Amino acid sequence: MKKILFVEDEESLQKSLGAALEEQNYQVFRALDGEAGLSLAKKELPALILLDLILPKKNGFEVLSELKSDPSTKNIPIIVLTNLEGSADVERALTSGATTYLVKANYTLQDVIAKIEGVLSHSK
Amino acid sequence: MVQSSRFDSLNLNKICGKYRVSLWQCPQFLFLVMGMVIIVAIISAYVVASKYQEPELAAVSVLILAVVLFVVGHMIISAFEKVATASLSKSEFISIMSHQLRSPLSAVKWQLNMMLSGDGNAAVSNESRNFLEAIYDQNERMIRAVNDLLEVNRIEDGDLVMRPSLFSLFALTGRVAGEFEKFSLVNNTKISILAQKDLPMVYADEERIRRVMEHLIDNAVRYSAQKGDIAISLEKKNDNVLCKISDQGTGISDSEKTRVFDKFFRSVNAARYQTEGSGVGLFIAKSIIKLSGGEIGFSSLLGKGSIFWFILPVRRGGGPINN
Repeated sequence: MKKILFVEDEESLQKSLGAALEEQNYQVFRALDGEAGLSLAKKELPALILLDLILPKKNGFEVLSELKSDPSTKNIPIIVLTNLEGSADVERALTSGATTYLVKANYTLQDVIAKIEGVLSHSK
Repeated sequence: MVQSSRFDSLNLNKICGKYRVSLWQCPQFLFLVMGMVIIVAIISAYVVASKYQEPELAAVSVLILAVVLFVVGHMIISAFEKVATASLSKSEFISIMSHQLRSPLSAVKWQLNMMLSGDGNAAVSNESRNFLEAIYDQNERMIRAVNDLLEVNRIEDGDLVMRPSLFSLFALTGRVAGEFEKFSLVNNTKISILAQKDLPMVYADEERIRRVMEHLIDNAVRYSAQKGDIAISLEKKNDNVLCKISDQGTGISDSEKTRVFDKFFRSVNAARYQTEGSGVGLFIAKSIIKLSGGEIGFSSLLGKGSIFWFILPVRRGGGPINN
């Protein structure tokens, strides 16, 4: 069973996408803030991380750069899942090592899962 | 006023009223003041120089006037700064607000996704399903409105950055047309797609081209006005792919043709047949296609229908795909 870490502070999104992923037989780890996300990532070494950008304690950009500078986590593919869409934000996330950048409002749950499967099949 | 249009540019009260700033903070008015100060300065320097023979007096008067000019100049610059900051904080406000709007919209979207997905909850009755689907459609409409708002804001800030990749325009067209199936049925029209075999991939920002396609198909369905079908064709032309979307609807009158791609423009026909719409769709479409290195245009006959077309470049190495 593949592990996915979902870092998102909005609980209703945690519930819906988290449940949808569990239905697809992924083992989902949930973090509601950046710090919890970082420590779970290091502890569980998931196959993929879904990362929001606006997060309490540590924001998504900080989490991203810390994950990418740690040898144990730097190869984990990260999908940034946010509602921010400024070109500077997109640019910063992608140059910091995010694999893909998705705007939540523009994707259905099914689309997001399809993207996750696409990234996982590439990183095999 | 009778002689309005020609002299509007001289009516400072009106211009400054538009900016909602007082006269002493309005650049146009301050420029006028500066012009008058310069004229007074030249005349008084001449008068002083010819009446009194002392050069010190002339020098002092020039100095005083230079100080006045400096002060007025400074006021002009800070007035411009104020206008610039106001527009900057406006666009920052728009981007923060749209983020705030998107969060609940995406939460609603995903939860409805969950409820409506087959394996999610079989307990949803058919009647409830219809209601939930209606809520979903309205939510999607709000998401599109927020996206349009953001897109126009970005275009105006010169901040529309393309993330191009190779993708199949044929597949994208199929997906978007599929999304519009229900909407076209309600409007008593059908969408058909005809693509040339071995159509090459195009090199552009897929997400944004998807928005262009959505706007063009949405318009075609809306302004079909319950008659005729919509035909989409895709073909290779030199190093480009040409996409044409034809409808047999209301068409566009000659007098309105030059303004079709203007922001907020809605034709008389548009307002008559469809109350929905903000008039930014084609403005956004044109900006995206231009930034993608393509071209967009249309031909139209009033009462017979319109053909909107755009071309997108094929990057070399974009091999043929199977239809």
